Amino acid sequence: MKKIISYVSVLACLAFVAGCTKEPLNNLTEEESRIYITNYDSTVQFNNYKTFSIADTVSIIDNNRLAGRELTSWDARLIGAFRTEMEARGFMMVDRSQNPDLGINVSRLYNTFSGIVEYPNYWGGYGGFYDPFYWGYGGSPYFFPPSYGIYEVTEGAVSIDMLDLRNAASTNQINGVWNGLLRGTGIFKESNVDSQVQALFEQSPYLRTNQ
Amino acid sequence: MKLLSLLSICVLLAVSPIKAQQREVQMNINYSYSMPVGSFSNIVENNSGRGFQANILYGISDKLAVGLGTGFQDFYHKNPRQLYKTSDGSDISAVLTYSVQTIPILLQGKYYLSPESAVQPYAALGIGGNMIMFREMLGEFGDTETKFGFAARPEAGVFIPFRKNGETGFNLGVSYNLMPYKNNMVTNLNNVAIGAGFKFMMRR
Repeated sequence: MKKIISYVSVLACLAFVAGCTKEPLNNLTEEESRIYITNYDSTVQFNNYKTFSIADTVSIIDNNRLAGRELTSWDARLIGAFRTEMEARGFMMVDRSQNPDLGINVSRLYNTFSGIVEYPNYWGGYGGFYDPFYWGYGGSPYFFPPSYGIYEVTEGAVSIDMLDLRNAASTNQINGVWNGLLRGTGIFKESNVDSQVQALFEQSPYLRTNQ
Repeated sequence: MKLLSLLSICVLLAVSPIKAQQREVQMNINYSYSMPVGSFSNIVENNSGRGFQANILYGISDKLAVGLGTGFQDFYHKNPRQLYKTSDGSDISAVLTYSVQTIPILLQGKYYLSPESAVQPYAALGIGGNMIMFREMLGEFGDTETKFGFAARPEAGVFIPFRKNGETGFNLGVSYNLMPYKNNMVTNLNNVAIGAGFKFMMRR
């Protein structure tokens, strides 16, 4: 009887303490769950660019395949927020027919598998998502330097790519010069768009120009 | 309520025949409160009240008992949102969280300095292995690394029997947990633990 009581008390202690393990995912707010990643071409002088244009639709990339283009209210909100931040930093938005220095592409990325998507694969098929003809450089390949990072996603993400259009004709390729990435819970809520875009720009102090 | 039940059980167990410790099998089970030290404290500043230590020892003599021990401790620390630079030059704004669990499995020896006293000081040493689960999270994203490493635990404390020459009683001790573990952030998971609990006699 005493042995049984001993064993039961021991098991009770073990169960009690094991149940007290602090699970990190249960101790994060929605905002804390999100991460904001930026990367840029460190050889570029952003104050040499003056004008920009934003693609009028957002590409939907599902498992590295273009699934369509949309302009939902969320998409429009994000494009508007990005424009506001760019203009606050001295850049001027123009129509794409007016030879902007920078082109902005926005993509919503979805991975419906429980696997891993590597972003170089996303850029590998970039010409299929964003026709270079749109920017006036039909036939020119896109080029993203290998210094851009590799990130793995298992759910959804938002990618914003900034392209050097001013030098595309002379280099015969459209270079990516900046990338912003949003990941985590709540990135597709409209109420979070402004703060997320603001966060991307706050960690990119080099992204400004003199007008 | 759980604590009250546990205390009641211990009082019942205290009514046991008076015998020397030799050839007896004893169980010690302690609640453990642990404080990271060394490089471990650089990433986990918070102390942990989520742990226990337990062992089953066989009395070789009146003063010395040897056997097997284990335990569990859960460490957790969440940092406020900060900007981090990665090796590829990216900037990541994230809430960085560390979650570490340790489960040592040790060969233990315990030496009672004065086994007939009302308060019996002891010294103990455990050597063996340590199962480590180390998780680093950026926001909701992260990986868990599971490793098995070396562990050692010197300990000192007192045993207070519930009655004169009784084998059941109260433990109170301090141990230093030596846990080598290396990654980009730390070189060990060393910690100092305070344990309080009970000793039961299991078999004569």
